[in-house]
Amino acid sequence: MEHSHEPMANVDFNTVYDAIVVGSGAAGGMATYVLAKHGLKVLLLEAGKKQDLTKELHSMQWPYDHPRRGEMPQSDHALNFNEYTFRKSPYAKGMNYNHVYSYVQNWGGSDYSKNIVVDEKDNPYSGTSYAWVRARLLGGKTAIWGRLALRLSDYDFKAASRDGFGMDWPISYKDIEPYYDKVDLFLGISGHKENLPWLPDSIFQRELKLNPADMLLRESLKKMDRTLTPYRAGVTTDGLKHNHYRSRCFGRGACNRHVGGCDIHAAFDSPTGVIYPAMDTGNVTLRTNATVYEVTVDPNTGKASGVSFIDSETKRTYKAKSKIVVLGASTLESARLLLLSKSRQHPNGLANSSNHVGHNFCEHIMGPGITGLVKDLVGKPRTLDDGHPGGFYVPRFRNLKTKNPKFIRGYGFEGGSGCTMIPGNAMSTPGFGAARKKKVRDEAGAFIDMGAFGEVLPRYENYVEIDPNIKDRWGIPVLKFNYKFGPNEKAMAKDMADSAQEMFEEAGIEIVSLNREILTEGWSIHELGTSRMGNDPKTSVLNQFQQAHDVPNLLVVDGSSHVNASCQNPTWTIMALAWRSCDHIADKLKKGEV
Amino acid sequence: MADDFKRRDLFRLTAGGLLVAGLGKAETPVFFTKDEYAAVDELMETIIPTDDHSPGAKAAGCAAYVDRQLAESFGDKEKHEWREGLKLLEARCQKKFDKNIAGITPHQRIELLEEVSKDEEHPKGPEEKFFNVLKGATAFAYYSSTIGIHKEINYKGNVYLQEFVGTAL
Repeated sequence: MEHSHEPMANVDFNTVYDAIVVGSGAAGGMATYVLAKHGLKVLLLEAGKKQDLTKELHSMQWPYDHPRRGEMPQSDHALNFNEYTFRKSPYAKGMNYNHVYSYVQNWGGSDYSKNIVVDEKDNPYSGTSYAWVRARLLGGKTAIWGRLALRLSDYDFKAASRDGFGMDWPISYKDIEPYYDKVDLFLGISGHKENLPWLPDSIFQRELKLNPADMLLRESLKKMDRTLTPYRAGVTTDGLKHNHYRSRCFGRGACNRHVGGCDIHAAFDSPTGVIYPAMDTGNVTLRTNATVYEVTVDPNTGKASGVSFIDSETKRTYKAKSKIVVLGASTLESARLLLLSKSRQHPNGLANSSNHVGHNFCEHIMGPGITGLVKDLVGKPRTLDDGHPGGFYVPRFRNLKTKNPKFIRGYGFEGGSGCTMIPGNAMSTPGFGAARKKKVRDEAGAFIDMGAFGEVLPRYENYVEIDPNIKDRWGIPVLKFNYKFGPNEKAMAKDMADSAQEMFEEAGIEIVSLNREILTEGWSIHELGTSRMGNDPKTSVLNQFQQAHDVPNLLVVDGSSHVNASCQNPTWTIMALAWRSCDHIADKLKKGEV
Repeated sequence: MADDFKRRDLFRLTAGGLLVAGLGKAETPVFFTKDEYAAVDELMETIIPTDDHSPGAKAAGCAAYVDRQLAESFGDKEKHEWREGLKLLEARCQKKFDKNIAGITPHQRIELLEEVSKDEEHPKGPEEKFFNVLKGATAFAYYSSTIGIHKEINYKGNVYLQEFVGTAL
């Protein structure tokens, strides 16, 4: 397996590929798979290295078997909330550490992600506070994603029609539904059917089970007309007959060491899920360490002609040619690339005649959350509580049947309960001595916690642009952020904490801590919307098939295209849309219509 | 990801940002002097003592592990924090009991730590701040050790399961 998918550095610079795909995460990976399956010759360019995550991850290593118990060397540093809040970006500037990483590097098992997330020293950015998490390697952020795999609904696609804010998507649920189905069946997803119109069910494999505290909350929430459902995990729990690179889930636990990843690839990651199957068609040329810095344009037609890239190690530059260019570099990197790609025909940046590239930038707001103690579980014999890829999800309940007077849109909660390998209360319980030791052990399995993810409205005035003064390690100008949460988000955040409190109180769960603070912009790692789709080329960048209005042979298939953020996690939608758009463009290519 | 960051934040705040790791049984200290090491070993055992249920911090090798972490720490801030903190605690111990930390009884060590842990959430002065550092390091070292995970907490996970555990809906 390791040898069969070595990156082939022998890119043919004289040939015109059918497609060049930029980025190998959920979006670029899926685009590569779909186009290659259609028989198109694809050049896949990834800025990061090819990591063999099977060797890298050590998913089941016990902390005491690691020289630093999973932590990174002390000469390295992960940015924290205070640094994001009080320091000015570029955050790593002036820091004395050997390597500086985003806050993600502070999760459990941080030593395992040191080759996954980028070094902030090499990859600076500027502007307003933003916790920008980037993973440069084959597979991108699918190496660290939380795996909550949710569908959007017409409550999202037609949200503007419901509440008057922003713009409807140019598609409705029925357009994307068949592609959600395809993604479910091809990649595997675990979940429990709930028949909620605002959170459509997937075609689920074997579902996760709930711990006693989860059950207590689920039963209590029913009385409030709210739902607690087992984590909808982008994990194959039954296995996939068509994909021999991935095992079924064996509930080994320690899955919340996401950064330590899933070394049996039961959890979806782009390399084993889509890229290796794509390469097995024989139609894909993969080049890693290839940082694209410009989409080139035919001087006569103004259409995309290929890309220029720099070798991340040798710093040599190259130009490759193709009939279509597909960007899947991530919401912010794709915007950066479009803005950098200025030409006579596109003086504003490519696909930017609307001046909307980089704008309408949105995501999920995080911070408010709650931890509680279930008294009945204190002192009970230890059970296995974390042998699953996730805990539970409480879907949105605001602004569905009734209208909240303080804010529009909604939020959901991710949570979990029971004993983990190193329980949180082992660190947080006050006191010392024998009594504390007993308290920690008696209560270790009795906690339940959850944190909210809320929709941040897409606003034109929230945007990224190119910083004229700062360049990255490869000499490429970087992004400058102009982005702040607004009053709707702040009102929503207050309600998140209030409703969390209300739900725990109703369930008779003793509240241990209630967090009302909002985390730094960017914390959710769900950036979206910088090249939104729409029917009007004056107010949108892409059409409903993610083709640029200005440049029909250019597609942007990542989260850039989303018209709003919903409050549901975006990865499954990114892949369903990429599949739909690539089916469409492949058909057009075959008919010679591009 | 929510539960991830929350657990992490909880842990980070309490551990005072100190990163601790390594493993091991009592051995020749690398960073601490012999006397410092003996004091740390006893203080950690006072924080997490052996009881009927499982061995404590001494048996779990917590002092050895913190010793190694400090030896490779980046810059002098943490080294200084420990060295000065221990000096202050030793001085307090001498004044109160006329003996060093390793020389007093377990009950006297409890008395000593009670004096410097009155308000953990709002530590006042360098001794109370050092208590939080010491306690955070002890807790992480202990609960990430073989004894902590398997004997004390009796953690059941990190095994292959044919079927998920819990209540099916």
